[in-house]
Amino acid sequence: MTITELLERSELFHELSTEEIERIAALGHEQAYDAGDIVIQEGETSDEIYIVCGGLVEVEVAQGTVPDVAGRLQVNPIVRLGRGQMFGEMGLIDQGVRSATVRCAEDGTTLYVVSRQALWDLCNEDHHIGFVLMHNIAADLSFKLRHRNLRVGLTGGEL
Amino acid sequence: MIYKVSYVVVGQPHPGEIVNQDEPPQVGDRVELGSELFEIMEVVDLAPPRGDFAYLHATCRPIY
Repeated sequence: MTITELLERSELFHELSTEEIERIAALGHEQAYDAGDIVIQEGETSDEIYIVCGGLVEVEVAQGTVPDVAGRLQVNPIVRLGRGQMFGEMGLIDQGVRSATVRCAEDGTTLYVVSRQALWDLCNEDHHIGFVLMHNIAADLSFKLRHRNLRVGLTGGEL
Repeated sequence: MIYKVSYVVVGQPHPGEIVNQDEPPQVGDRVELGSELFEIMEVVDLAPPRGDFAYLHATCRPIY
């Protein structure tokens, strides 16, 4: 399967033509990771967005930490993302720091990595691509929020 | 059709999973999340389909 065919199966590229997806695919590259590798770190600046081509990643946030007090960092896994899912998209929208750490959960996890600035420049250059990408990112964030709400409701608020 | 599925696990601490798959989950099916097996108890539509994408939620429980 080509990278364009893989990206066509991600919601981020839904309703874009093959030619438009190829333009986006040309901006990025595939990268392989092993289980335990940290892809992005909570609190760091955000320069790229990621699409899971294969394998699994775990999203986790730090909890109960006090600045400048030494001690073991307690991390709280909030969701695992598999094939076709994106992460790092919040930084594309608000340019804020990473809100969570993302760690690979399986050996051989393959991610497609796209520069935030390159994607933003393309959105400004081609407003149709920009509109569709922003709609799809909004739909994905909505889906993640619904997942989180269901999880809170079904597990009694345990996160 | 591509099924974007939100899996939530009840009965044990688990972060849940979001994944695209080619077949929809069915009640009673066993699903592997990470390296663990779970049984699907409920499947509901999470949002109306858009084009080739369907949006589902599946509640799962551990298999002991």
